[in-house]
Amino acid sequence: MIGGLTYFVDEGWTSFWRGRGASILSLLTIAIAVFVLGLLLIVGGHARRTIDQWSRSAELSVYLADGATPDERSAVERALRAEPAVIGIDVVSKAQALARFRRDFPDLAPATAQAPDNPFPASFEVRLGASSASGAALDRLAARLATMPGVADVRFDRRWLDRLVSLGEFVRWVGFGLTAILVLAAALTVTNVVRLSMHARRDEIEIMTLVGAPMAFIRGPFVCEGMIQGGLGAVLALGALYAGMALAAPHLSAMAAGLFDLGAIRFLSWTAMAGLVAGAMAVGCLGGLVAAWRTARPR
Amino acid sequence: MIDIDGLSRRYGGAISALDDVTLHVGRGEFVFLTGPSGAGKSTLLRILIGQEVPTSGRVVVDGKDLSALKPADIQRYRRTVGFVFQDFKLVPRKTVFENVMFALRILGVPDVQQRRKTFQVLKWVGLQHRATAYPIELSGGEQQRVAIARALVNEPVLVLADEPTGNLDPDLAIEIMDLFRDMNAGGTTVLVATHDRELIRRVGRRTVALDHGRIARPA
Repeated sequence: MIGGLTYFVDEGWTSFWRGRGASILSLLTIAIAVFVLGLLLIVGGHARRTIDQWSRSAELSVYLADGATPDERSAVERALRAEPAVIGIDVVSKAQALARFRRDFPDLAPATAQAPDNPFPASFEVRLGASSASGAALDRLAARLATMPGVADVRFDRRWLDRLVSLGEFVRWVGFGLTAILVLAAALTVTNVVRLSMHARRDEIEIMTLVGAPMAFIRGPFVCEGMIQGGLGAVLALGALYAGMALAAPHLSAMAAGLFDLGAIRFLSWTAMAGLVAGAMAVGCLGGLVAAWRTARPR
Repeated sequence: MIDIDGLSRRYGGAISALDDVTLHVGRGEFVFLTGPSGAGKSTLLRILIGQEVPTSGRVVVDGKDLSALKPADIQRYRRTVGFVFQDFKLVPRKTVFENVMFALRILGVPDVQQRRKTFQVLKWVGLQHRATAYPIELSGGEQQRVAIARALVNEPVLVLADEPTGNLDPDLAIEIMDLFRDMNAGGTTVLVATHDRELIRRVGRRTVALDHGRIARPA
């Protein structure tokens, strides 16, 4: 068994090396597919973490009319506290809202001093659980609050976050579609390169067939050749991804710092890398298997 | 060992390579299959190694009905029979030793035994000193001896040879035939296809002649 595997790997490597000119082609095709998929996983992972972070701090702000009565305020607060998705409520008075504005935008602070009245409304700032309610239920809550007496406006952060998530999902599926096409192209390239390799060794295949070698013994080395192409292509792609990230990470962090907290840019986990290499080897194996099955036949 | 009954092989329905051939070769026999080019010798051998399927008739080798064998069974059958070809069919990138040992490797024989038996059979054909040479470095006679060693190394009960001396000069042809005679003396059934009448006369064994796909002279 082990002797057979050693034979397959030895012969597969010899075949790969003898046809290295053509093998490079399939190796690069696999490398491109793995590179795109790896990039997608890295970007997708960071986007998911960022959206999660934003989702956790997503707020529902209920702005009160200046003339809202204490009963109306209480009714709004009761409605909020009755909602299971609400995990916290901060009451912000008109004076606190003004103070916060002056603290956050000191350049504009003098303008507020010239205003005859405090233009900022009192509000309830509501923290929502990340996954405690569906978007539709929260939409209904926001709509109900907007119609309550004493409420001037309702601002709901999660709406645009949901849109962002939907956009992210769309981009993710487009990416997976692109990867699927690249994987198919890689499998076809491996198939054709292995078939070329088998064509170059057709006399040897004929001899092996005539002396009664089991078909698995004849096909095995070519399946291994496909797996070698897949594995090396994946390693090449991961190396290129790592190098690319090492070069781009400082610039990306600097760019992102002003917009949002990207956190430390992380490379793929060991599990993900092993999965990509195994997947690429499986694609190579499939390509080799198709070529070997179609080319080496008994009789 | 070989029982052929009413064997026919036609191509495209019209061209008949073999026509109603009936032949029996007993266990331990040495038989020459002769006839002019196009007589059907090679077609008969291709059927006997499972490369072609008869159009009609029955071929039984060592109790196995060849027309009933599945692809995997054909490979298994071939491992029990030795073949020697006119063009030697050696793997150019393997050494003499590797070419011969390969026949044992596919049988799953342990490494040590593979090496021991390969050395023994190379010694028997007188090529132990060329074990590390590649086929391209050998003469025609030496290449055919390697092919014979490969055919014999797994101790087959039957050896089939298609014009094994076709590419060799007369002296080398006699040397090769001596090897076939020696293996037959050891109990192996041998069927050799050749059109060399002088060689047949010198070896002096049973001869079956084919002509236009039919048995012309059963002996």
